[in-house]
Amino acid sequence: MTFVQKYLAWAAGALALLVALIFALPGGKVRGFDVAGFGNIPILEGGRVKPLDSVARNSLLVIHSRQGFRYDGRTIGPDEWILDVLFRPQVADQQPIFVIDDPDVIGLIGAKQTKNRNYFSFVDLSSHLEEIQRQAQTAQPIAPQKRTRFQSAIVNLFDRVYLYYKLRNTLQLAGSPGLGWELQSISDAEASARHQDLMQLSQFRILPPLPGGNPDAWKNVGEGLRAMAAGQGVHPALAPLARLNAAYVANDAASFNQALADMDGVVSTLKPGALSHASNEVVFNRAQPFFVGLSIYFVAFIVLCISWIWKPELLRPTAYSLLFAGAIVHTLGLAARIILQGRPPVTNLYSSAIFVGWGAVILGLIVERMYRKGFGTAVAAVAGFASLIVAQNLGTEGDTMEMMRAVLDSNFWLATHVVTITIGYSGTFLAGAIAIAYAIRKHIVRKVDVETDKALVDMAYGIICFALFFSFVGTVLGGIWADQSWGRFWGWDPKENGALLIVLWNAIILHARWAGYVRERGTMVMAIFGNVITACSWFGVNMLGVGLHSYGFMDQAFYALMGFGLSQLIFMAICYAPPRFWEQKPHHKA
Amino acid sequence: MIKTLASRIWKFFKSFQLTIVLLACLMALVVLCTLAQVEMGTQGAVNAYMRSFFVKRQVSFLPFPLPVFPGGGLVGLLLTLNLIAKTLDIQRSWTKAGMWLVHAGLVILFAGEFVAGMMQVDTNMSIEVGQTVNYVQSYKNMELAVIDITDPTWDEVYSVPDTLLAKGGSIAIPDTPLTLNVKRYYPNSELSNLPPGAPPSLATAGIGPGVSVVERPTVTNDNELNTGSVFVEPVAGGRSYGVWLASMALGAPQSFTHEGHTYLLTMRLRRQYLPYAFTLKQFRHDVYPGTDIPKNFSSLVQVVNPSRNESREVLIYMNQPLRYEGKTFYQASFGKNDTLSVLSVVENPGWLLPYVSCVLVSLGLLVHFAIVLRRSLKRRQDKKEG
Repeated sequence: MTFVQKYLAWAAGALALLVALIFALPGGKVRGFDVAGFGNIPILEGGRVKPLDSVARNSLLVIHSRQGFRYDGRTIGPDEWILDVLFRPQVADQQPIFVIDDPDVIGLIGAKQTKNRNYFSFVDLSSHLEEIQRQAQTAQPIAPQKRTRFQSAIVNLFDRVYLYYKLRNTLQLAGSPGLGWELQSISDAEASARHQDLMQLSQFRILPPLPGGNPDAWKNVGEGLRAMAAGQGVHPALAPLARLNAAYVANDAASFNQALADMDGVVSTLKPGALSHASNEVVFNRAQPFFVGLSIYFVAFIVLCISWIWKPELLRPTAYSLLFAGAIVHTLGLAARIILQGRPPVTNLYSSAIFVGWGAVILGLIVERMYRKGFGTAVAAVAGFASLIVAQNLGTEGDTMEMMRAVLDSNFWLATHVVTITIGYSGTFLAGAIAIAYAIRKHIVRKVDVETDKALVDMAYGIICFALFFSFVGTVLGGIWADQSWGRFWGWDPKENGALLIVLWNAIILHARWAGYVRERGTMVMAIFGNVITACSWFGVNMLGVGLHSYGFMDQAFYALMGFGLSQLIFMAICYAPPRFWEQKPHHKA
Repeated sequence: MIKTLASRIWKFFKSFQLTIVLLACLMALVVLCTLAQVEMGTQGAVNAYMRSFFVKRQVSFLPFPLPVFPGGGLVGLLLTLNLIAKTLDIQRSWTKAGMWLVHAGLVILFAGEFVAGMMQVDTNMSIEVGQTVNYVQSYKNMELAVIDITDPTWDEVYSVPDTLLAKGGSIAIPDTPLTLNVKRYYPNSELSNLPPGAPPSLATAGIGPGVSVVERPTVTNDNELNTGSVFVEPVAGGRSYGVWLASMALGAPQSFTHEGHTYLLTMRLRRQYLPYAFTLKQFRHDVYPGTDIPKNFSSLVQVVNPSRNESREVLIYMNQPLRYEGKTFYQASFGKNDTLSVLSVVENPGWLLPYVSCVLVSLGLLVHFAIVLRRSLKRRQDKKEG
């Protein structure tokens, strides 16, 4: 590798990091309004103080499956959207943000499914709200895994519509003249009923705790108004909020930005630190490190594939440096989550996907440093990409930094048991990925290269040992945690069984190899099956819906899991088939 | 001849084939047990697949269930034998020290699961705030309690476990003149008011004559409880006190008097009395601000143990159980508007074994990998020099 090549390779990595940095920069003002600053306001939702920007992004993800959408020829970001929902619902109600895929549900709301027409606005849905609610209420008592497709879809739609409905009635009642009017007519005849509605529908609490009270006692606007009506004084944040509301409705950017500065002032006197914590989270939200990371992994993989046919001396190191850049972004994202949440890296299914990918990438980087054949890079890039895609799909169900339920509220066990077991998943997946690479290579490469084959088998073998160690220790630590919290070391609960299966399978591979029952190819076939077992114990057991560990049930993922299992079986067959069996064999000489 | 047989058995038990077949069987069992939990509940599936020597299936033309697959007990036992044989067979050299530790640790782990399966006793203790409780009670097993309440300061409790009631016949209560004749026992039943015109009840005394009892199939599911009922006739000094109905479905105990002693008759969950008592001083159910997501549950109890001359406060909360006198008390549940705390109580003499095993296996794997790493580094070094 010449100096120039090295220089070019690392320049590619640096470029990728630069792109990642650009994502983290704040966007400009919209029509002169400091929309980003509005997204920075800290609020309390789901037991945690977070910026409004997070509420906007998570709600939009739940409702729309994306963090932004195109409307009227321009892109509307989450902060602008939430501003409209909160203060100008008549505008937001027109925007087609509700995605409906189920044809029966589309039929129910009386629309025909045409191309690009499965996006609906709140106005489209508003005349069918009662029917949606009625259908959803009949489906809700049925256990999620027993619902039909229509029932799942209607419950899902109802939940999203209800979330939207709550949001538009959080800071003012939709259709009322606004918060300023509410403050003036604090003692009119219907005021009490309106305050009651605001309290019930509020999605988040925006009024910071007052000095002298409980430091966690954030209030929603309805509670603030009620306290005011009861003569307990006006909450200092209500006035700037009302001005924000009025200025936004009147399209007066200058007063809006002034009111925002006043609001920030109130928040920082009442709850010092909340504003800076919120703005850190906003930077994290904007940077989208996992989306950027998976894009970089994708590019790295493509570059590596090209390197096998064109300019390997330049492109292989380039791919490695891109992978390295991706790993940096991924690591920073992971670290940011740990800091923001104050928790070890894995707290739910979403974060486990991120961590599994991270572990696989780091292992892959190490393997590549040791063998330098490009396989480590390829496998790590694919594993990182795939697991972050999984994470992106898991992250559409709301806040991914949710609070931990009582029994999980233990940083010690989250840091030990959960992290070790997840590293075990990473290792098993990486070994499986290497085995798939081995299988594909065997059929594509014409030249017989014993040394490379052996290197791949060594890599897989080493990683299986590593995975066995971590999955065993993780499983036993899990048992000890269970002994501490539920009173039994082992209860044959589905999640425990899943972990045990991974341990058993890795143990079988190693024993079969030591005893000489399998050699190169056999080990690799078994390693691929490890993918199936790991995927089943990671996601499959959650689909059974039994046991103490089933904290997150997923309905859609079942088919994805089936498809993944099937693809792995095909890879096993490919791996087991003799090299290039599909080529036309020359006829035997007569 | 004997020697060859012995050596063949020895060879069989230390073979890798056996290890792999057994591990594969265990995997199959684990998968089946996991899937079966959807239908049978966790406890039922574990009993059928793991805590049994054979997995049995009822076949229509046979009167008894047919063993179709080795159960967890058999596989575990064979695997333990295989492990021991293998451990003894590993070369006694320092290079195998790691493997020795790992396999010894695994033997202990299996032993721990056996001990838990055989000897673990699960009970619970429900206490309301301010209440003092000196017993734990079973989740499912029942007993017929005969309580002598003559002394206002002291209750003398005699209890007949449901297993004994199921056998029927007459049961003499030790230290009392009483004998109980079990007329009929229902492991699970449903009670209703005796409709007019129906055949009369077996009972002749107490509330029983007005109640009709229908037998129901027993339930094993985790959240369901059997309603055991029994018709008994207390006999003392040659005199019958009538046939009484005692049932889990009857709340208030019934009483009769013999020679100045008043006895209560009641069917209840089996109790084990403790030589110490817990008083619940405070129960807390914390939630995250602005939500109903639970953050913590905790019970502040006063432990009073006269035999040890001990009286102290203990806080039992999530992930922080109290280990006391061989029993472990965990915060498990709550009720009655946060004024009732339920502690689950586990007695498992082998609870330490998994901890020992964990340390041994982790240590063993580390030692082994260190040895392998050293060897491969040395090989690399040799290659460079050579």
